[in-house]
Amino acid sequence: MIRFENVTKTYKAGTVALQDVSIDIDKGEFVFLVGPSGSGKTTFIRLLLREETPDQGRIWVAGREIAHLSPWRIPYLRRNIGCVFQDFRLLPNRTVFENVAFALEVIGRPRHVIEGQVPQVLDLVGLAGKRDSLPGELSGGEQQRVAVARAFVNRPLLLIADEPTGNLDPATSQGIMRLLDRINRTGTTVVIATHDAGIVDQMRRRVVELHRGELVRDQERGVYGYGT
Amino acid sequence: MAVSVEYVTRETATNLWRNRLMTVAAVLTVAVSLSLVGVSLLLRQGVAQATTQWQNGVNVLVFLDAVPAAPAAPTAQQHTIYQQLVQLPYVKSCLYRDQAYDLGEAQRLLDPSAASVLNVASTPASWRCVLSQPSEAQAIARQFNGFPGVQEVQYPQKQIRTMETVVHVLDAVFLVLAVILLLSAAVLILNTIRLAIFARRREVSVMRLVGATNWFIRIPFMFEGIVQGLAGALVAVLVTVALHVVLDHFAGHNASSLLYRMRTPAGDVATTAILVGMIGVVIGAAGSAIGIRRFLES
Repeated sequence: MIRFENVTKTYKAGTVALQDVSIDIDKGEFVFLVGPSGSGKTTFIRLLLREETPDQGRIWVAGREIAHLSPWRIPYLRRNIGCVFQDFRLLPNRTVFENVAFALEVIGRPRHVIEGQVPQVLDLVGLAGKRDSLPGELSGGEQQRVAVARAFVNRPLLLIADEPTGNLDPATSQGIMRLLDRINRTGTTVVIATHDAGIVDQMRRRVVELHRGELVRDQERGVYGYGT
Repeated sequence: MAVSVEYVTRETATNLWRNRLMTVAAVLTVAVSLSLVGVSLLLRQGVAQATTQWQNGVNVLVFLDAVPAAPAAPTAQQHTIYQQLVQLPYVKSCLYRDQAYDLGEAQRLLDPSAASVLNVASTPASWRCVLSQPSEAQAIARQFNGFPGVQEVQYPQKQIRTMETVVHVLDAVFLVLAVILLLSAAVLILNTIRLAIFARRREVSVMRLVGATNWFIRIPFMFEGIVQGLAGALVAVLVTVALHVVLDHFAGHNASSLLYRMRTPAGDVATTAILVGMIGVVIGAAGSAIGIRRFLES
């Protein structure tokens, strides 16, 4: 599903964000990407979304080499990747339904498809009753559920989350993780960048650790820190 | 990529309404500049119309007695006149226009009721001479009026020459003004579009995130620019047509008045209108395209 082959990315100021990183993530896996701030997690995600290109190495997503993808193909790559962020990135003047529908609308899905898929996914994230609320009227956890719904409504092959629980309390975070786990069970590959030790330890899934741009650990059924 | 008409209409309307003041400014600038373009085009056509006979530097018209057979080439007598004309030191060259050509020209220049009595057999052919010294036109008139085979010698009234000069100056001034104003209109449109995108940068970033194509994001904004350009152009077309109607009204039916001779056929006005409209669309599209570019770099 995802393959990094000796990927190096250096920013203009000379900061090394990723240093010779190679990794394989199979279809249907659930992976935590951990490490302190500045370890290269966000760069990893930006490379996957082709918001950045690597200086060296090659990256495959869903069988396609994306480091040298022509610009007009980038939108089609992103249609295969659902994305969730710490700050939710919802549109404040649109309702829950409209926010989720927006993701389908702007890739040209017809009205009847939108009418069919949006309620389904709102049901999945447990917000069927809030379809006409505005994001401002929802709690943080509910807003993140809307964001997950928006990321998943197009049934992407891959779902990426960058610090999805960064703004949420532990109990709410657990709810979001259960939701992502459910999505993973539908066959969707899930990659979560986080430094939330609680959720990582609790889920016991594959853990990939970055430190100063280098891959320092890749462990099945891992925990956040060393030991245990 | 399917962009629904409903989506584009809704987005464009919302954007225009949100930035209505900037939109009004952009539309007005386009309107003023394109009005200048329209008026100067109309003026140009009018002058061309009024000076048909005097085009290509012709300074003197020697109308010849009409020959009933309306020959396409000069007769022997007419050729003699030609030789006498070109002998003069200040005559550069003379061109023969046969009776059929002169009839066509008269029909264009004269009032329809006057033109209807003309026919090819009674319309004079002419020698059209270019002089190295235009001031000598009067001398030619004196010499050749009453000459056998010559019906009448005409040379442009002073007012035509003055009008030509005035119009050329006006034309240049209008053109420069119009170009400056068109540029500022494009910049204003560019700015409006930039504001519109800035107001919606969240939406644009979400669109990019979920995989909307650049054209999908671009189209509503480009449409906004085109609508502004077109709206300005429409106002300009109205101004141009109104001016045309007013001038036509004042021209009346006096075939000898200068205004009457400058009146432009409706077809030319329509061409001008279409041209003005197209410039409006191009300005709007160009302005918005540049405005969007920065936001779509990835």
